[in-house]
Amino acid sequence: MRDRGLPARGGERILRRGLFGLSPIAESLVAAVLGLGLGAVIMALSGFNPILAYAALLKGGFASTYALATTAACAAPLLLTGLTFAICARAGMFNIGAEGQVYMGALAAVTLSYFVLPPGLGQIVGILFAMTAGALWSLVPALLRVFRGVNEVISTIMFNWISHFLALYLVARILVDPARSSQTVRVPVSARFPILIRGTDLSYAVFAALAFAVVIYILLWHTASGYEIRAAGFNPRAAKYGGIKSTRTMIMSFVLGGMSAGLAGGAMSMGTPPSYAVFAGLSQIANLGFNGMAVAMVGRNHPLGMIASALFFGGLTAGAREMQMTAGVPTEMVSVVQGVIVVALAVPELVHIFRIFRGRWPRLLGRRGEA
Amino acid sequence: MTWNSLINILFIALHAMVPITLTAVGEIVGETAGLFNIGLEGILLLSAFAGVLGAGYAGPLVGLLVGMGTGMAVGLIFSVIATYWKGNQMIIGIGVNLFAVGAVAYTMVVLGQPGYRLLSFENRLPMIRTPAGGLSPVIFVALVVPFVVYWFLRRTRAGLILKAAGEAPEAADVAGINVNRVRLLATTFGGMLAGLAGAYMSVSWIGSATKELSAGRGFIALAIVVFSGLNPMLALVGGIIYGVFQSLAIWIKNTPGITFLPWQVFDMLPYVVTLLVVAGAIGRVRFPKALGEPYKRE
Amino acid sequence: MVQDGLPTQETRLEQLFLAAHGISKTYSDGTEALKTVDLEIRRGEIVGLLGENGAGKTTLTKILSGLLSPTEGRVESPRGSVRFGSPREAMEFGIGMVHQHFALVGPFTAIENVALGHEHPFSRIRLAQTRERLEALVEESGLHVPLDVPIEKLAVGEQQRVEILKVLSRDVDLLILDEPTSVLTPLEVDDLFNLLRKLRTQEKSIILITHKLKEVQSITDRIVVLRHGKLVGDVKTTDATTEQLARLMVGQALEAGASAIELRDEALPIRRGRERAGPIGEAAIVLHVENLMARGSTGEIAVEGVSFDVHAGEIFGVAGVEGNGQTELVECLTGLRAPRQGSATIRGTDILRKDPKDIYRLGVAHIPEDRWEVGLILPFTLAENAILGIHRWKRFRGPLRILRWQAVQKHVTELMERFEIRATGPNAPAKSLSGGNQQKLIVGRELAKDPEVIVAAQPTRGLDVASAKYIRELLEQMRGKGRAILLVSADLDEVLALSDRVAIMYEGRFMAVCVPSELTREKIGMLMGGVTSASEEVCRA
Repeated sequence: MRDRGLPARGGERILRRGLFGLSPIAESLVAAVLGLGLGAVIMALSGFNPILAYAALLKGGFASTYALATTAACAAPLLLTGLTFAICARAGMFNIGAEGQVYMGALAAVTLSYFVLPPGLGQIVGILFAMTAGALWSLVPALLRVFRGVNEVISTIMFNWISHFLALYLVARILVDPARSSQTVRVPVSARFPILIRGTDLSYAVFAALAFAVVIYILLWHTASGYEIRAAGFNPRAAKYGGIKSTRTMIMSFVLGGMSAGLAGGAMSMGTPPSYAVFAGLSQIANLGFNGMAVAMVGRNHPLGMIASALFFGGLTAGAREMQMTAGVPTEMVSVVQGVIVVALAVPELVHIFRIFRGRWPRLLGRRGEA
Repeated sequence: MTWNSLINILFIALHAMVPITLTAVGEIVGETAGLFNIGLEGILLLSAFAGVLGAGYAGPLVGLLVGMGTGMAVGLIFSVIATYWKGNQMIIGIGVNLFAVGAVAYTMVVLGQPGYRLLSFENRLPMIRTPAGGLSPVIFVALVVPFVVYWFLRRTRAGLILKAAGEAPEAADVAGINVNRVRLLATTFGGMLAGLAGAYMSVSWIGSATKELSAGRGFIALAIVVFSGLNPMLALVGGIIYGVFQSLAIWIKNTPGITFLPWQVFDMLPYVVTLLVVAGAIGRVRFPKALGEPYKRE
Repeated sequence: MVQDGLPTQETRLEQLFLAAHGISKTYSDGTEALKTVDLEIRRGEIVGLLGENGAGKTTLTKILSGLLSPTEGRVESPRGSVRFGSPREAMEFGIGMVHQHFALVGPFTAIENVALGHEHPFSRIRLAQTRERLEALVEESGLHVPLDVPIEKLAVGEQQRVEILKVLSRDVDLLILDEPTSVLTPLEVDDLFNLLRKLRTQEKSIILITHKLKEVQSITDRIVVLRHGKLVGDVKTTDATTEQLARLMVGQALEAGASAIELRDEALPIRRGRERAGPIGEAAIVLHVENLMARGSTGEIAVEGVSFDVHAGEIFGVAGVEGNGQTELVECLTGLRAPRQGSATIRGTDILRKDPKDIYRLGVAHIPEDRWEVGLILPFTLAENAILGIHRWKRFRGPLRILRWQAVQKHVTELMERFEIRATGPNAPAKSLSGGNQQKLIVGRELAKDPEVIVAAQPTRGLDVASAKYIRELLEQMRGKGRAILLVSADLDEVLALSDRVAIMYEGRFMAVCVPSELTREKIGMLMGGVTSASEEVCRA
């Protein structure tokens, strides 16, 4: 059913710009530079030393094995939630609901604690639970869109908030650990993701994320169903003429997106030592959805691009703590940088405008921080 | 339930109605002209915080004005990118929201009070004293604005111009209307109202600003806009309904006698109701044809 | 270049309204729409601006009316140099344009639409005043139209009248009309031309943009011809012959076949070069439509009880001015619209209210009238577009449901060869192709399915002569192979030349179904104009 509400042809517009050639990469780079640059300005105004801060950021993100491992560990769930947004964007929809789908996935994984798991299959069962929970949570807004014409932006946002409170309730009352009331029961040992590098947070979750990204890539560009999703995302009328049912593509993209976000949530509970549980304030899993959107946009909604973009944002998050310790800059600066990058990406002629500025103020450019 | 609690509920409802109604009416103006601003949430947050800062330094009125100014500034940036630079409105809005969360949290930390910012009592907007309790003066603003905007949209030529810009920008262009400028003004005005709503929350109603102050109200306002069919009077109705529900939720949370339902359910209630409203209301609503599309002359 | 329409030096200045010198326009994507065009407009004259699609007519007039600014060149009036930075400035100077796609606001009434262009922004709308003015204008100009109905509910001809009234209400001295007759019946065209003559006596100037040769010869004083952005002719109407004009427009001596289509006279050409095995009636009926009724997108009845059959080896044409239900008819038969009533079958299988996929499975190919919005996915490559609709075919399916791009590449390369599609390669984005090649891609894609039934809607619209000819020949080839073809075209000449039988559609009904040789220009004009008495004795087909 056509959306009788608000504009939702987002995916097509994101992609139409500079789909071929270097310009999409250039745009993302320019946006990243702008974001970091503005961040530097804000830091300077607040009395911090931006160079010191960014140096610490780099160090904390990339300068040691521990740093790289942390970066990768942060990047994995971001890649997944980014895929949520990206798949649906390719289908011409805006799925803002990754946030809530992550909560559901994380909690579903935790419920494994109530079951007797078949030996050796713990992680797989956990993944299935998490993906299903995320997919179901994503399915309802899709159905609302298809059958009632409800704009998915609003419905997914509402679902985010509903799941937020639902999760709070579940964590505090139903799934609570009897021994520790501030967190849920723990994921059983057999279902935990093994840690790749001792002493870090990097678990097999990273492989799950990469594998999912590759699967999505193959799906979108090398299967007929993926072709249909992309076609309907670009031009629903032509797709209909081509025998493609947009209801099918919409629902499929949302289900896949929900699976991705659910997996991200599951990876958080099954892969985060030492607790392997969800905390009462939902702190570890909060904001994964929204940050994932930035990852998707910078990665141009392409799974391979998003791997790089996830590493970038993962590095920011990983390095933020170092930045706080060394330069005293609050970790929230990362969100600021993210926001500016996303707004910058909204401007289609970004590279063009950038060139104009560059022509007029070349000196200004020399001082900007680096990605 | 006593008479007292009923009055109490009503008063809280009126207070809760304000941010939704103001934001929604502002967005109605913007959407009539063709721009869809999903960044309202970010505007609420930024202006609430800015309002607290302003009020802290120079009193409540300045706080409200600073809030309005912040809203206008964000609205302006949004509309410049969306009109003259032909940016994608959804993405701008999402970016604004992300930025707001980070900027507010960051600034709070830098200023020494991470997570919240209190406003001392003298610096809050004084309430109008009635025998039954205090009412914020902004409530009356929120009751009047929908009527004014309604009159403006239906009965002035400026309203006609706004509608033309949103419905058929090519026709408006040919008629000599500067479509981008009209949209800019409309969204800046919408930002101003949202800024007032945010500042109201921190300076007048709650008395402090936290990272979670907006609590999705920006999105609820969007839903009310849909519900209202771009009619400011219906937005007022929607805002009041929301206010009543919010108020009930607060009352139930604070009344010791009611324990059969967990408090989270009541916090969930506004969002569930919004969802039902939106799912039920869509079908009779008609949006401007050019909503969400940047206008190009060639 | 032919130029003999200029007046003598003495009369020039006092009669001159506007003169454009050396106007060039290059768009931001590099297209050179106009190349140093000079144009003079005198008072009290009707100038025809003639040219094919893409010749630059609309661009030139958009510059004159303030919507675009020229890359080079200047515009001068007796008072000095002028520059229009916006439509409003042009309007204040006295230039108003009636666009091909009306610049009207749908939900507004006629009065509101007219009011939009007047008055100061913050005054309360003096709707009553506008109403009075408008009513007076209606009387004076003879353009009758309901003033209080939202114009999106009006018929296209009525909308055009509102558009003209809107411009007239601004007291213009130069009225520019862009292809005004493409949406009018012959009777409405007469009304319009009468109005134009009236305006001429009032010393107003008129520019009439058209690509229709007969029209431009009947109403104008002077004809200016553009081709590929250049001015190639400026002649007095009485001095030019149809052949001359056609040659100027197209730029080459026309071959016998093309000229029969481009230049039309009273009698219509008999179908040429056809062989058929036997009379149509004996061939099998492939497509059978009975009493089809459908609503249009705005709720009004678009198709009203249409019935016809298409036989194997036949081209059944549907002629008529666009907007009379042809689009909806095609959509019902191709799964893109659900009709209210009626039945349609292909070899006995019901095709109404089905998915396009199911209809294609019956051997149907659909060449849609809107190649950008429906026929192609512009951001996709040629290869990706070439499999639209057939992307699930076995030959493209590999193990584990993977799409075999190699097979796709092979397919599209074959298509490019067979149908002479010019592009940089199978992976070029579809939007980089010219209109003609895009259409060839669509036609090739559809015909490669080896369909039994072809529904072709406006298949050559907006194409250059060579591509159009090519596609017409392809359709004739398919007919020769025994396929059943439904051809819907607003190009009267095309549909009459290609069809075995033709239906004239007016306001949702088939006024008559005839063999082309039975029709005269006059009869067609009347049928297209809805004159029912003509249909009684017209045809027996």
